[in-house]
Amino acid sequence: MGKFLRLTDKATNKTYTLEFNRKAVETMERQGFNISEFAEKPMTTLPALFRGAFLMHHPAIKREVVDNLFDKVSNKRELINKLAEMYTETLDVLLYDDENDENEGKVEWEASF
Amino acid sequence: MGSELLNEAPSHSPKTFTEMFREAFPFYLSIGMTYELFWLADATLVLDYRKAYRISRERANFDAWLQGAYVYDALCAVSPVFHAFAKRGTKPVPYLSNPYPMHSKKKQNEKLSAQEGAAKFYAFAAQFNKRFETKST
Repeated sequence: MGKFLRLTDKATNKTYTLEFNRKAVETMERQGFNISEFAEKPMTTLPALFRGAFLMHHPAIKREVVDNLFDKVSNKRELINKLAEMYTETLDVLLYDDENDENEGKVEWEASF
Repeated sequence: MGSELLNEAPSHSPKTFTEMFREAFPFYLSIGMTYELFWLADATLVLDYRKAYRISRERANFDAWLQGAYVYDALCAVSPVFHAFAKRGTKPVPYLSNPYPMHSKKKQNEKLSAQEGAAKFYAFAAQFNKRFETKST
């Protein structure tokens, strides 16, 4: 099952499911979104990433509602990291195959974090 | 030092996610995924489709091997007739009367034969003991 997250607006008591499918990613890229600009243009990229996460389950939601949610959301940095992970997962699952990794054991690596 | 790692121009222009999706899409269509499943459903569904595809390839490989084994058996059975210096009246060995048993059946047979063996042993032991009982009386 793919990664998704649930967002609850306590003011309206509405719950939203944020997830990306490939159509949502395609739509976002058609509208000019580029994940590689994540670090260079955070002010435009981050809200766009947040808006794109609504396309799969809430395609009819109004932009003002989403922007309002983005303004009010807590722990934005962690949320954005999770959204970026969810976004890249749509491509990662096509590129990497853990079961049939031809390079398994050839060059090993470990991280300190 | 090490500047050659940074100065080298990238060998290809970066592709967008959409381009990568479009490149992969025909393969997933070929293994039975629909447009809706690939573009609109859970993105990780491709993992299950790839796993199912691998299983089906393994099965096809096994079937091809099995067919080869049957052909080999058939050739072996008929080979006495094809022998250049075969004696007159030589007949081919009859082909297998049944297909090779599958694993589950083999296991079942093993279990049954173990039960039969145990039953035979108890019967033998009972008869053996009975012989002593009759001698003693």
